[in-house]
Amino acid sequence: MAEAASTEERSTGRNRRVRALVTYLRDRRRLRTSLVAGPPYAVLVLFFALPVLTMLVISFRLGSITGPFTLDNYANFLASDTYRTVLWRTLLVTVEVTAIVTVVGYALAYSIVRFSRRTTLLLLLVILPFWTSYIIRMYAWINILQSGGVLDSTLVLLRVVDGPVGLLYSQEAVLIGFTYVWLPLAVLPFYASLSNMDPDLIEAAKDLGAGPIKAFFTVTLPTTANGVVTGIILVFIPTFGSFITPRLLGGTNSIMIGMVIENQFKSAFNYPFGAAIGMIISAVVVAVLLFGARGGGTLFAGGDGP
Amino acid sequence: MNALDGALRPLERLVQRHGSRLARVVMVAVFAFLWLPIGVLVLMSFAEGGVLSFPPEELTLRWYGAFLSNDTARRAIALTLKISTVATAVTVALSTLIAYAVDRFEFPGKGLLQLLATLPIVVPLVVTGVALVLFFGTINLGSGYWSVVVAHVVRTIPFATLVILPTFLTFDRRLEEASKDLGADELETFVQVTLPNVFPGILAGGLLAFTISFNEFVFTYFVKGSGQSTLPVYIWDQIRYNVTPEVNVISVVFLLVAVSMVLVAVSLTRVELLARR
Repeated sequence: MAEAASTEERSTGRNRRVRALVTYLRDRRRLRTSLVAGPPYAVLVLFFALPVLTMLVISFRLGSITGPFTLDNYANFLASDTYRTVLWRTLLVTVEVTAIVTVVGYALAYSIVRFSRRTTLLLLLVILPFWTSYIIRMYAWINILQSGGVLDSTLVLLRVVDGPVGLLYSQEAVLIGFTYVWLPLAVLPFYASLSNMDPDLIEAAKDLGAGPIKAFFTVTLPTTANGVVTGIILVFIPTFGSFITPRLLGGTNSIMIGMVIENQFKSAFNYPFGAAIGMIISAVVVAVLLFGARGGGTLFAGGDGP
Repeated sequence: MNALDGALRPLERLVQRHGSRLARVVMVAVFAFLWLPIGVLVLMSFAEGGVLSFPPEELTLRWYGAFLSNDTARRAIALTLKISTVATAVTVALSTLIAYAVDRFEFPGKGLLQLLATLPIVVPLVVTGVALVLFFGTINLGSGYWSVVVAHVVRTIPFATLVILPTFLTFDRRLEEASKDLGADELETFVQVTLPNVFPGILAGGLLAFTISFNEFVFTYFVKGSGQSTLPVYIWDQIRYNVTPEVNVISVVFLLVAVSMVLVAVSLTRVELLARR
């Protein structure tokens, strides 16, 4: 009994101190704000902004992270035929993936919004695969695409082909893998903008004589342009920097720029050179974001609260 | 233009008549594309003859047994949980502070805070991963347990904030006024009125943060020290060097964790909330 009483006393004592603190802070707005915003600010500056700045500085060093300053890393990258080819191929793959995902994702979002009543369930079915491990989703495709794998066995069973095709380790496998992982990501903004759109607009266009195709291209697509741009950005950027998918599914001729960075950090150990390539990728990202901002994409949390 | 319209007219009629059928075909095809690979993973985890024996002739639990008695995999799971739980706790605390600050206060640098809390989603993972390694190397923090935890916090803050912030923004502040009018002080109001209302959002944010941290690969891969293999890193090594049917089993474990976490998170908020990104 006595013990319980003393625990209670202690907890009321603590309550009183908390109360005193709350009262103290109520009258000191600036202190209160810095106590709330300060910790996350500190963490994000220290462990996100500063690391990126560190990478920028190191990208100008020669050979090691304490080497002398130089422009060689950038010059060597841009002067090399191999790296320019890799950069060009990365851009090409990224554009292809973005195009495929945008068309398929938009078709799916449109079908869900216009032609289905079970939207919550369908949306769940879209996002659940997205929340599972990236590596595992790639591994699922290794199961399917490898020589003698699920796809080959199925095709042989159906007598479409005689022997194994083995699509793994090819450019097609890379495209399939990317489409698979980014499709859910693009469907979400497409879905959001389509479901926010006033369906009466389409009816109005049809009343004025437009068929469904014309109504789509003159009304629906322009009205949902923001969502489309957001989806494109969300797919373009991570594809451009990816190394996992081409490493696991691609062959020797599907090397992408992210793999070159991985290589610098995992086997070549030329960190400054890797940092310089990281900066080049960042430059592309910034360019895409600026382009997207002009196109009206919305990426930033909270700015447009619900 | 008229010629084009004329050419389009039969097509328009076709789409008009078969629109809903077309939509159904799209939905079936895309959902098959999204879910068949997952079905294959699950099926092959029971395949007696391993991953190259499709369709499996015999089903077995053998690989599950092998997984359970695999010490390396078990250690990897323990380490993953040790990292994810700590990182999730830190992330939830920080994201809640961000949401509270953005919702309640006006201060210089507010826009920058929101930008910093969003950018880690936007910047390619390989860039931030490399930047963290270089930073940890420069300040001589090295690559230990805490480096990985910090990396996971940076990785998960944007996702948790994206879920937690809207619950603060949509919370009806008049409830707080009412509570104070009825005689409650600030602390009582916060604990008894504000917290219960925003708690589901915070919990959902935490579950998603945990899911991401549990699955995190890229940051861990770059930042980790030797001998610090989380489960995704372990799988990566397995896939690249020696695939065993156990990898399918681990994949199924991952699927179950992710699916249950996300389903709980969704039931706590709205599925559309996860769609706002």
